Amino acid sequence: MEETPVLAAVQSGVLTLTLNRPQRLNAMSQPLIAALREQIARAAGDSAIRAVLLTGTGRGFCAGADLAGSGTGAVDADGKPDLGAVMESAYNPLIRSIRELPKPVIAAVNGVAAGGGANLALAADIVLAARSARFDQAFVRISLLPDLGGTWFLPHIVGDARARALAMLGTSVPAEEALRMGMVWQVFDDADLMPEAAKLAQKMAAGPTLSYAAIKQAMNRAGTNSLDQQLDLERDSQRALGKSADFKEGVEAFLAKRAANFTGH
Amino acid sequence: MTYEKILLTRDNGLATITLNAPDRLNAVSRKMIAEIKLCWEELAADDSVRAVLLTGAGRGFCAGADLADPDREASATADSGAALDKFFNPVIRAMRSIPKPVVSAVNGVAAGVGMSFALASDIAIAGKSASFLQAFARIGLLPDGGSTWFLPRLVGDQRARALAMLAPQISAEQAKQWGLIWDVVEDAALMQTATDIARKLAEGPTLALARIKDALNRSTGNDLSAQLDVERDAQRLLGKSDDFKEGVAAFLAKRKAEFKGK
Repeated sequence: MEETPVLAAVQSGVLTLTLNRPQRLNAMSQPLIAALREQIARAAGDSAIRAVLLTGTGRGFCAGADLAGSGTGAVDADGKPDLGAVMESAYNPLIRSIRELPKPVIAAVNGVAAGGGANLALAADIVLAARSARFDQAFVRISLLPDLGGTWFLPHIVGDARARALAMLGTSVPAEEALRMGMVWQVFDDADLMPEAAKLAQKMAAGPTLSYAAIKQAMNRAGTNSLDQQLDLERDSQRALGKSADFKEGVEAFLAKRAANFTGH
Repeated sequence: MTYEKILLTRDNGLATITLNAPDRLNAVSRKMIAEIKLCWEELAADDSVRAVLLTGAGRGFCAGADLADPDREASATADSGAALDKFFNPVIRAMRSIPKPVVSAVNGVAAGVGMSFALASDIAIAGKSASFLQAFARIGLLPDGGSTWFLPRLVGDQRARALAMLAPQISAEQAKQWGLIWDVVEDAALMQTATDIARKLAEGPTLALARIKDALNRSTGNDLSAQLDVERDAQRLLGKSDDFKEGVAAFLAKRKAEFKGK
């Protein structure tokens, strides 16, 4: 029987989602994916939630699709799995919803992040990692290509040369190395990871939420926009943000040399 | 053309723009950005100018938009988009499209759109005490001046999101390590180093430098196959230039090439 595959808790504007299949290093089963999607949708619809923190219970962050369980989806008439179908129905909508969520998503990578688990982490806006964590594009070892956006995230994060090597060699990257490559924003001693991640998530949940949403949207489009198009996008977003209560507060606070009290409006 | 908020000097093909509101760390007022825009138009039209150096007077490079500018509209009625449309975006487009190399000498803090000016230049060199800050989120805005485009290309998607959302102040050394800028030198050596580089570029093969700039501008939107065609077309054109002829002749004669920019 499947327990609760994702634990969800809201505190101070932060929705904390904890992958909860520690006996499987939080490998992604169908119920786990469904629960994650449900929670991201909840975050999108609940204005009291202003940041999402994603982490895992136990030793691992997420070991990728559960190859021993339901992670690879249904089997075709030819006796072989249709991996495309499960990508289309479950994994890809999850990744899209994380990137499109108009609120910051922070991943606290507490242990191994392998295969789809690595790319689930990279889909977050801010990635924090424990010193013992590893990022492992394991796909090629089972004759697949990186999915859950891995072939997009990697070249956009570490550059083309490193992306090809990571994907083809399936090299396991320790947290410190991931930090140097720019896959991770900060690395903490294992015991400090969760307190630091919670602190950052709370800070962002008290931040200029509309500004974060605009930054996310702009960064999402930066990959394919020309500079010219991006300048127009910045103009339009800045016009909208310029009319927000948080901008007014931000400027007043700056001129008065005090901390701003952002409300997310 | 004479300016009040910036200084423009010309010296043998090298034009130097100095943002000149040192008591405001060169924060950009409406008046200053209007002058900066005119200045880029002037330099683009001047064939005698073969390289541009951008720097700031005093302790700062540029502190970003001047929030205390008396000409700034009250925030309740302001249209932040209009200022970008009319002034800032044309300046960024001009810096990227001017067919001459642009060098920034970042002599102090480069915050907000001031950081965007540094990132928009072709070669940015900073003094050791300079710092970089995407200050926008601190006042409820998103990075502008092209920074949402420059950042992910320079430091990757992950660091770009963190720099934009968390708005940390980063050192010149960190900026160099991440590839945001080309080099860091001692503060006292900055202007000499940057001027030497800009001077060298001003005496360089201007047409080739312009084609390099154009090709790199296009590389981010092209696939490799399309980019190979861009290189072919540019090389065809450069192969017919005087500077190519001179470059090959000088190479074969083992002497220094005398480029004219033609």
